[in-house]
Amino acid sequence: MINEIKNACLKAFESGEVGYIIGWQATRFADKTTPLFMRSAEDVEKLVWNKYCVNSTAKYALEDKYPEKKIGIILRGCDSRAVARMISDKQLKRENLYLIGVVCDGKEDPICATCSHKTPVIYDVLIGQPTTEEISPERFAEVEKIAAMTPDERYNYWAVQYDKCIRCYACRNVCPACNCVECYADQYRTGWQGKAHNRAENQVYGLTRAYHVGDRCIECGQCERVCPMNLPIMSQTRKMLKDINDLFGPTECGLTIEEAPVLGEYDLNDREEFM
Amino acid sequence: MSRVGVFVCHCGTNIAQTVDVERVAEAAKSFPGVVYSSTYKYMCSEPGQAMIKETIEKENLDRIVICSCTPRMHEVTFRKMLKGTKINPYQLEIANIREQCSWVHTDKEKATEKAINLARMSVAKVLLNEPLHTSSIPITKRALVIGGGIAGIQAALDIADAGHEVVLVEKESSIGGKMAMLDKTFPTLDCSACISTPKMVDVSQHPNITLMTSSEIESVGGYVGNFDVTIRQKAKYVNHDICTGCGLCETKCPTKVISEFNQGLAKRPAIGKMYAQAVPAKPVIDPNACRKLIDGKCGLCAKLCPLGCINFEDEDKLVTEKFGAIVVATGYQLIEWGELYPEYGGGKYKDVITGLQFERLVNASGPSEGHILRPSDNTEPKTIVIIKCVGSRDPKKGKSYCSRACCMYGAKHAHQILDKIPGAKVVTFYIDVRTPGKNYEEFYDNTRHDGAIYVRGRVSKIYEEDGKLICLGEDSLLARKVAVKADMVVLETAMVPAVGIRELAGMLGIAVDNHGWVTEAHPKLRPVETQTGGVFLCGVCQGPKDIPDTVAQAGAAASKVIGLLNKDSMETSPMISKVDESKCAGCGFCVKMCPYKAITLEDIDVRQGPKTVKKTVAKINGGLCQGCGACNVACRTGCIELLGFKNNQILEEVDSLCL
Repeated sequence: MINEIKNACLKAFESGEVGYIIGWQATRFADKTTPLFMRSAEDVEKLVWNKYCVNSTAKYALEDKYPEKKIGIILRGCDSRAVARMISDKQLKRENLYLIGVVCDGKEDPICATCSHKTPVIYDVLIGQPTTEEISPERFAEVEKIAAMTPDERYNYWAVQYDKCIRCYACRNVCPACNCVECYADQYRTGWQGKAHNRAENQVYGLTRAYHVGDRCIECGQCERVCPMNLPIMSQTRKMLKDINDLFGPTECGLTIEEAPVLGEYDLNDREEFM
Repeated sequence: MSRVGVFVCHCGTNIAQTVDVERVAEAAKSFPGVVYSSTYKYMCSEPGQAMIKETIEKENLDRIVICSCTPRMHEVTFRKMLKGTKINPYQLEIANIREQCSWVHTDKEKATEKAINLARMSVAKVLLNEPLHTSSIPITKRALVIGGGIAGIQAALDIADAGHEVVLVEKESSIGGKMAMLDKTFPTLDCSACISTPKMVDVSQHPNITLMTSSEIESVGGYVGNFDVTIRQKAKYVNHDICTGCGLCETKCPTKVISEFNQGLAKRPAIGKMYAQAVPAKPVIDPNACRKLIDGKCGLCAKLCPLGCINFEDEDKLVTEKFGAIVVATGYQLIEWGELYPEYGGGKYKDVITGLQFERLVNASGPSEGHILRPSDNTEPKTIVIIKCVGSRDPKKGKSYCSRACCMYGAKHAHQILDKIPGAKVVTFYIDVRTPGKNYEEFYDNTRHDGAIYVRGRVSKIYEEDGKLICLGEDSLLARKVAVKADMVVLETAMVPAVGIRELAGMLGIAVDNHGWVTEAHPKLRPVETQTGGVFLCGVCQGPKDIPDTVAQAGAAASKVIGLLNKDSMETSPMISKVDESKCAGCGFCVKMCPYKAITLEDIDVRQGPKTVKKTVAKINGGLCQGCGACNVACRTGCIELLGFKNNQILEEVDSLCL
């Protein structure tokens, strides 16, 4: 498979349309890879494809919103959903991207156990055989576990978690749904997010982040992967997704490039039981 | 350093009885920025306003807080007052210590404390208020009236008489609406046609009115004073420019289909006028019935027409026109009772008819030329049951609301039956009899004197037996079961909004309630305006009502339109949303949220390192934005702010209370 991916990269460079391609490369640790930016055919040699390719390749494109040539991205299923999400959020333009989709074999990451889209949802070329997939019954297991707690237990559970949080904002930086020019948490004059490091401010951050991305979460699990303090962050967005599923029917985000955020659309026929 | 003045109003005793206003004024003196505070009996009165203006001069104030009633009441008054002073009208805050304090509390101590807090919050906010300035937009002096029933006709005539151009759009081939179907109108028993057809003719002949029948609204753009409306003129297949309306085509057309105008009680040809008095008095072809248009056969009308008006190749036309104001007068239809009330036969008994069908039966120009005959066998019914509130006041099966006109036309139907059929018996089943209108109660009394029997209760079942319709019900006043052997049953069914009102409301950016009735801007104080500037409403589209109320409302809507069109330009509210383009990510979530379609995405040039690139950002149309703030909530970055309610102003209010 690695050779097929490399060939696809070489072909992309040959066409002259692609400026650089984002993939993965080896590090000095056998069980770690790091993102690779291939700028010419010579760099393609460095590309690796193994079970440690856990970094998402998609969000780097946001750093280059006005590229001279197309940005090539090697996509797993989750990366493709991230790209689709960012295109529907009007943060990337489809015509600026050259997408090399690879059917994923599951990586060394716990989130991959509940993956429902190993085959990329958008691509220009696809490598590997598309697999039939279904939503994992374990998708909302963590959410249900937390929902089963008493309110006090739940508060204490999250209190412990947010006492750990160091507000490094890694979860935000890696999230494909976090694409504001300036994050609310970085705005110092409005006072949305206090800068003090304490449980209350950490919880405000956690809640706000969950609400800002919850209805667009593609469930890639990058937030949990990058969290240095091991907070179960996905269970917050998945809680929102579960509620959305219960209220509006089956919902998965980032499957097409033209989807509206569920909570960001206004429709006269929406359910209004609270009115 | 800001110099804030706080003025606390007694509002007679409205506030002063529950709130210690003196203490509020005293406490306000200690708030940051406050240099003056006082109380007065009526701040909004002439001397009250003069006192404020004088104090502004004397104390050299640069912003003020007025503690009084809701800003919906007098914010405009006080802004107007500030126009003559050196303070910008938007350097004003109103602390609502009446509706949100004195009126809802009884404990004076606690109410006073709350009033002090409300004043504290307003002072905190006013310190961050910025001067705002209105801008003006030009006004296109033309009005669009949607719907050609009596409401639309009256509104169009009133606007046109005031000298403004009006386009009246009607989806059917003739104007006249439901009123044209009616026989007589309560309580005076004027002939409906005699009073409405002259108005229809006036519309067609008025030099200021352009009539577009068989037309529907396709799309609406723009904003108050400057709407761009695209109207779909459906194919008529008859050239109305040369047609004289001789009627030869309709007499010879071999295809006959159910007549909607006669409520299914008669047939009509595939080409023809909607009814004899139709305006325009020219035929159209029904493409769903015409054999030539369906399978290419026939074409008899084209052969017969002496002027060659028939054009089977005719197509829909789209025209886009500019308007300054729009009146929605789309009216109603009757509820589809069949599926809801299987116990009344669900439509299987021919002699169970609706009130509107009865109107056609009793109408001299109707299918039976005014003779009340059973649809099943054309015999004269002797015993007639009238059932009111079919679909109305029935939240379980139909609608929760009262349809308002049914009690009266029910009484009218009873009167007409007793008048036209000697020896007839009329039994009316009712829940309540509601007759709140001039001479209405007297009319109802007369009907009972005429011999109509009123039974309080609902009919639970209708079934057929020996050619009779057995109506089982309950007389709830006597607490006994009732069975009536009727020859005919008239169901006075509920009014429901016209088909397509939700789509139209979506295009216009106006709200409808959960039934589909158009929502007025304020139920009491702005009854013919909608939440969208420049869009007005009248008639039943707002909710069930009778003809007098409809006509009155049409006149009111027209006067609002005339008031708007008489101006050359209008001021826009400066309290609208503003985008910080440097922070905007161009995601467009606000575009979807905006109920007024005031936001679009636009590419602007920005410097990105050494090159200039196109960046997509949200752009607010100041004419369309109503300052609702929905976009503010949708924006995760917080780069859209509502001027006058900016995030920092609101946070400052909250902080002043909580910190």
